[in-house]
Amino acid sequence: MKGDELINLARVLKVPITKRTIQRSWLIDELIEELEKRSSRDSPINALHQPAIELEKVTKLFGKTVAVRNLDLQVHPGEILGLVGPNGAGKTTTLRILTGIIRASSGVIQVNGHDINDSPILAKASIGYIPEKPTCYPSLTAREYVTFMARIYKVPQEIALIRMREYVELFQFDEFIDSYIGTLSKGNLQRVLLIGIFVREPPYILALDEPIYGLDPRGAWNLKKLLKRLRGEGSAILISTHILEVATDLCDRFVIMNEGDVVGRGTLEELLALQPQATSLEEVFLGLTGGIPE
Amino acid sequence: MTTFKLLKIEIRMLYNQFRLAITTPSMLLFYGVTFFGIFFVSSVISSLVTFAPLLVNLSGLMEETIDVWMIYAATAVLSASAVVSGYFGVGPAAVLSDIDESLLMSMPVKPHQIFLSRYGRRIIRKVSFIFLGLLAVFPLLQSAGLLFLTMATILVIITIFLEINYLLGAMSSYARLWISKKATSPLRHLLVVLLGILVLLPASPWLIETLRVFVIVPSNALALSLSEFTGIFSQGVNPIVGVMLILVDFAICILVMANLTGYEYYEVFAAIKGQEQTEGRFSKIIRGDVDFSNSRFNDPMIWIMLKDFWSRLRSPMQLWKYIYAVFGTGFVLYLNIARPPWFPAFMIPVGLAFAIVPAFILMMIMFVQMGSVTAMLSFVDERDNVYLLKASPFKPRDIILAKYLLSLFEVAIAVLPACGFLIYLLHIEGYLAIITLAAPLVLIFTATGNAIGAYVPVITNDPKTLPVPLAFSFPIINLGLGTAMVYLVAIFANSWIIIVLLPLFTITLVSFFLTLAVHALNTYK
Repeated sequence: MKGDELINLARVLKVPITKRTIQRSWLIDELIEELEKRSSRDSPINALHQPAIELEKVTKLFGKTVAVRNLDLQVHPGEILGLVGPNGAGKTTTLRILTGIIRASSGVIQVNGHDINDSPILAKASIGYIPEKPTCYPSLTAREYVTFMARIYKVPQEIALIRMREYVELFQFDEFIDSYIGTLSKGNLQRVLLIGIFVREPPYILALDEPIYGLDPRGAWNLKKLLKRLRGEGSAILISTHILEVATDLCDRFVIMNEGDVVGRGTLEELLALQPQATSLEEVFLGLTGGIPE
Repeated sequence: MTTFKLLKIEIRMLYNQFRLAITTPSMLLFYGVTFFGIFFVSSVISSLVTFAPLLVNLSGLMEETIDVWMIYAATAVLSASAVVSGYFGVGPAAVLSDIDESLLMSMPVKPHQIFLSRYGRRIIRKVSFIFLGLLAVFPLLQSAGLLFLTMATILVIITIFLEINYLLGAMSSYARLWISKKATSPLRHLLVVLLGILVLLPASPWLIETLRVFVIVPSNALALSLSEFTGIFSQGVNPIVGVMLILVDFAICILVMANLTGYEYYEVFAAIKGQEQTEGRFSKIIRGDVDFSNSRFNDPMIWIMLKDFWSRLRSPMQLWKYIYAVFGTGFVLYLNIARPPWFPAFMIPVGLAFAIVPAFILMMIMFVQMGSVTAMLSFVDERDNVYLLKASPFKPRDIILAKYLLSLFEVAIAVLPACGFLIYLLHIEGYLAIITLAAPLVLIFTATGNAIGAYVPVITNDPKTLPVPLAFSFPIINLGLGTAMVYLVAIFANSWIIIVLLPLFTITLVSFFLTLAVHALNTYK
């Protein structure tokens, strides 16, 4: 942590002002002691509902067009589920329904045990969403945005400060943290959105729409490593992507959609067993969504 | 608490925008041009005409020609039109943006909290602009012998009244959502007539005189305040009563609207977002099967013009503009030739005769200015595609010239009916000589529009958003140039030099602004 961030943390933790102008190492000791005291007082880590995400017979109509038809889907804690399909398959619509941006025409959607229609605030408080096209308020700085996210999701200030620093370092975002979001490149914008999600306390329920979009190889590698770690720690992650390498690398199970319908589901082994001639997820995908081109 | 957190972040964004504006030289320049431009224009206008006698005459004239209930009726009509147009609008969904869809709409915040915070920002923004506006028109207020505080209060209550109308319109949109859930018959839309009548009814003289409590209705409260502040039909009531009533009305309306704002507006937003990408049905019928790729022209300039013309024609707004140009021109021709008795020209009272020529010129400049917004949008409408255009094998000069020529045509057809209407309405002596000034104004304003539009990506790094200072400074730059041109003409009116001077003035400015536009295009990052 930088000096000013340490001082800020000391202010939040109400470390006496006389103890702040001391050697950096002493202040760090003081802060660690205070944080340990607080963490021992705080409640234990929240466990996620089983399943963390549940969609039951979800259908979405736009006029007469069926965007999603009778979709059943479950994501359990400690699992990454890949929602794959060609453009216009209904993946983004599914994620928009799941996060309460639009309502399903019919069906039940539950996030962490909360129905998105009956208890939208509780459901939305449990889920983190990265949209397909990363956008954010251009006249906020990255730091202001992350702090705002922490406030909205009621993350204690000291935790927010520590987690922000942790993820700023992980995504190598230090030089941009005080830049206006409007001046950031697409990749860096994606990084801010990810830091904004991870400023909350784990375990997470995540709905990520093309999360690797715009990230450079190192950023993408870091994110994949992080997602695998989070899965190990009990987070439930739903990833929508049509980059099949990413899906193969990350996901435990897959739901393959085509024109609003589920055309395949299961682990890679189960899908390969269904399509004996296929040797990879790519070939399974092509076989289920219109056939492998000659 | 979440509402305050959201409001806090909205204010933070405003503050950051302001900080950016005052620390970025180009933005500061445009703000400066806006502020001092208005100050300059209002100084010139106030030096041309002394407004105090004008206003003295005006109040007397108003009391002679209209009765008090007409003021009440006029404010009620404003509210009714807001309710009717609001019924067909999207209500609180209008405050939502694509960014909200990606962020706030999926966050644990309620729709009314987003609405309230966004609305709070709108109010803060408006208040600051009103304050700056009042400072800039100070010379005019001073010349008219008006008290700054009274004018400021009048402006504030009118703004609050317009905000109340906005909220009434939003409530009306909720009524449409509600009735659409309950009934499917097309007759359900008769509700809008009922709502309109409901808003108009309290302005009835009989109702107000019988039940004084009806004065609490926003339109009546505004009419009362205006008459008491200006002294026209004053009943001796303390004007603060009207102000308090309007404030109470505003508080009631905003609370009601916050209560009505629910998740259904997310759906409304998603629906309009889907619609905006599709071509208007009417446009498709008019456009038919035209495929401009069959054009036999090979000149890149013509291609850019064809692309702009046909792609714009696919938006409903543009189509209505062409329809307005054709029917509007026909209508003003009919007015000027037939002079129908059912639509008489404005009879200028003798007391106001001295102000009519400046008013005519000012209105002409305003009309040309309004028409020339298209020129600015010719670049703004390109959005990210402006970089595609830049990367294409066209010379920047060709791009600018193509944009200029097409804009010139569009501005001209928009201005033509407006000028015809002005000639008919204010039939002043020597109107033919004065109206010819509209031609150089069109040439100049189109060039300024192109230049300012071309600078959008340079200033913002984002060709999608039109920065506020540009939107404000554009009319001010044009008003300043227009005033300068009229001043020039007035000085050399009796000399042959004007025959050389006016074209020289026009060509110089057009060349200057088009060169600026080319420069802007060359500096895109």
